Amino acid sequence: MPEITVDARGMACPGPISALTRAYRNANNGDVIIVMATDPGFEPDVKAWIERTKNELLELKKEGGVITAKIKVVAKK
Amino acid sequence: MTKGLAIIMFSGTADKFIPLGVLTQTAANLGVPVRIFVTGFATPYFTKNKPQPRFPKEFEDMVPALLQGMEKIKAPSWYDMVKEAKETGDVKVYVCSLIAEMLGIKKEHLDPIVDDIVGATFFMKETAEYEVIFI
Repeated sequence: MPEITVDARGMACPGPISALTRAYRNANNGDVIIVMATDPGFEPDVKAWIERTKNELLELKKEGGVITAKIKVVAKK
Repeated sequence: MTKGLAIIMFSGTADKFIPLGVLTQTAANLGVPVRIFVTGFATPYFTKNKPQPRFPKEFEDMVPALLQGMEKIKAPSWYDMVKEAKETGDVKVYVCSLIAEMLGIKKEHLDPIVDDIVGATFFMKETAEYEVIFI
């Protein structure tokens, strides 16, 4: 299964979620999308996006101001 | 979650276009439909001959810092945000037929981002179950 990396560092709201949505549009179920962001709102935003779109958050980690979300695409129709 | 957003875009100052872009793109990212009703002083910005954006005089002193900050974070323009939201999700832009008549604006004068010229009745019916935001 392909792994797609989205570098949204430096972008501000709603840039990281828009970048994630762009990647998601071209993704298939089973793909993993990794988003890196520095926007301080990214953590609650990505959780809300996951809840709304019913995809799966595999991992969320924070290292030196960078928030990395690992998302499994499961909700594509 | 709301069934959709009905955004009435009335103000014509540059600051008010920022929430238009952010709300529209966020809704599209979440799969929430958006219908934008363009009226009042915002209308000229949806034509092919867009005027220069202007900020409200009362906040003039804050404008340089705001513009600098937008450049620093490479914030996309409201126009690009709405345009991309239209590609991502269910987003439609309507121009109010009353203001179009008042300003002599015809369909051929409108920016391609606009879907149609409609009346308030159509808009109200189409967005009957949506949350309404007036900008």
